Amino acid sequence: MSAPLETTALGKRYRRTWALRDCTLTISEPAIVGIAGPNGAGKSTLLGLAVGLLEPTEGTVRVAGRDPRHDPAALAEIGYVAQEAPLYRSFTVGEMLAFARASNNRWDDALATELLAGASSQTRVAALSPGQRAQLALALALGKRPALLLLDEPFALLDPLASRAFLGALMDGVSETGSTVVVATRLVADIERVCERVVLLGTGRVRLEGTVEELLASHRLLTGARRPLGRIRGVEQIVRERYSGRQATLLVRVNGPIVDPTWSVDEIGLEDLLLAYMAPEELQPPQPPEPSRLRWHG
Amino acid sequence: MAWVTWRQHRPQLLMTAGLLLLVALAALVTDLPVRAAYHRHALSSCLPSATRPGCELIVSHFRSEFASRAAVARYLIVLPALPGLFIGAPLLAREFEHGTFRLAWTQSIPRYRWLLSKTFLLSLATIAAAALLAVVAMWWRQPFDNVNGRISPAGFDVEGLVVPAYAFFALAVGVLAGALLRRTIPAMSLAAGAFFAVRLGVEKLLRPHYLGALHRTANGLTQGSRARDWVLQNRLVDAVGHQITTAREDRAIVHAQHATVDPQSYLLSLGWKRVITYQPDSRFWTFQAIEMGIFVFLALLAVAAALVLVRRTPA
Repeated sequence: MSAPLETTALGKRYRRTWALRDCTLTISEPAIVGIAGPNGAGKSTLLGLAVGLLEPTEGTVRVAGRDPRHDPAALAEIGYVAQEAPLYRSFTVGEMLAFARASNNRWDDALATELLAGASSQTRVAALSPGQRAQLALALALGKRPALLLLDEPFALLDPLASRAFLGALMDGVSETGSTVVVATRLVADIERVCERVVLLGTGRVRLEGTVEELLASHRLLTGARRPLGRIRGVEQIVRERYSGRQATLLVRVNGPIVDPTWSVDEIGLEDLLLAYMAPEELQPPQPPEPSRLRWHG
Repeated sequence: MAWVTWRQHRPQLLMTAGLLLLVALAALVTDLPVRAAYHRHALSSCLPSATRPGCELIVSHFRSEFASRAAVARYLIVLPALPGLFIGAPLLAREFEHGTFRLAWTQSIPRYRWLLSKTFLLSLATIAAAALLAVVAMWWRQPFDNVNGRISPAGFDVEGLVVPAYAFFALAVGVLAGALLRRTIPAMSLAAGAFFAVRLGVEKLLRPHYLGALHRTANGLTQGSRARDWVLQNRLVDAVGHQITTAREDRAIVHAQHATVDPQSYLLSLGWKRVITYQPDSRFWTFQAIEMGIFVFLALLAVAAALVLVRRTPA
């Protein structure tokens, strides 16, 4: 059984800008993986490439070992909910299900109906709330019993209550189909709620990857007096430094215990961790303003 | 796919059926007086015209009495463009506009097969509707065709095999325009523009030359042409065969009138005669088959181009 999603040096260029570059990922066992990153980081591009809507500029993408762009059989393995969950607005819920039934050889009507949580099949899509619409889109994607489920910003339009309902449906559905789920979102809180693994994209490249557990275990916040930074034992890399007055706060990746007693060591939350990696420009300490040169014209 | 196609294009398909019904009704109502007059004057015994005394008068009276109806029927040439505007152009453009192509193209059917089967099914419906329209038009124009023939554009454009071919072509051009522009209204405009440009271009530039035109020399200066033909050119030439300009013709007539000679016999005495270039009515079905072939070919080309675009375009 090949990996649900595998990319090798995958890149996509629009005219002159790279939306995604040199992306090598293997998502091997059934898992819920979050793709995090700010707007324009390449999350949607990665999903678009994985579902075959986009053609890679370089590199390869394989879904269950198949090329999603050129192997028609790959499409059956992918459930995809695009941003804003596009649906045919004039269709009723029942007609949307009939559409999916007619468009897929493998289709689990019972599962899709169950995930709809009792929305009337006579209701028009246009009359559904954003939450119901998202759940309908999810039901259509999971009804294919896909090996890989791709969700692009599924929570963006949902209020907290609808989000929770969506999440419930997602968990129920995935436990039924055993799909690997890839959720692209710019909201880190979403990832914290659902994901076991995280891939952080920034300006088209993979910045960070790992299971949530690993990432949290390998990062620490160090606080101590401001001083010239040399090597600190147990620190593999300083991710971010911040200063306030005479105090320094370092986010570091550790490879052993920090023994230096002049640093107080704290654990870091996932949200702070991801935000730190998303904003690499904070690595540079602020530059003092250049003195303005005045010239006397007498 | 058949159900999906039907469900997505239900409004347009129902509208097509409604429009057909309306046209058929209008045809029935407007053609009954024409047919009544046709039988009352026993026009069938006048074909080809002037076989019995008084026929010329009867025929010309019939023509002038119903000329306006025949002129209105010319507007039927617009109808085959409609499938391009309302079915073809939105087929892809609306999916792009609403983002639903991301839904449609990520089901298990590859996108080119999705487009191919939708286009195929809608083409069938369009062709069937256009064929019905042509049948209605042919029934409606039967009295006129008997008198005037049907090879000239008034009949040719709305009858026979070309009507379904035009409609198929319009649909295909609409689909291609949607693939190119991805917006419904611009795609509709492009589809309409392209359809009429090609349609009129073929009519004016190609159709007169499908088969070599025939020439007929008429003695005297009257038209003298059989009305059922499609007259392409009607020239006055001198004894050596040079064309005579209207200015020269006018001068000659004025000259004759000054000399109190009958202009007709004067011009004849100069050896001038009329040369009429025409396509005979008997070539109707041959021409229909040729023009149908052209438009079916162009339509298939447009569908192929749309398929290539949809396969290749990043979405």
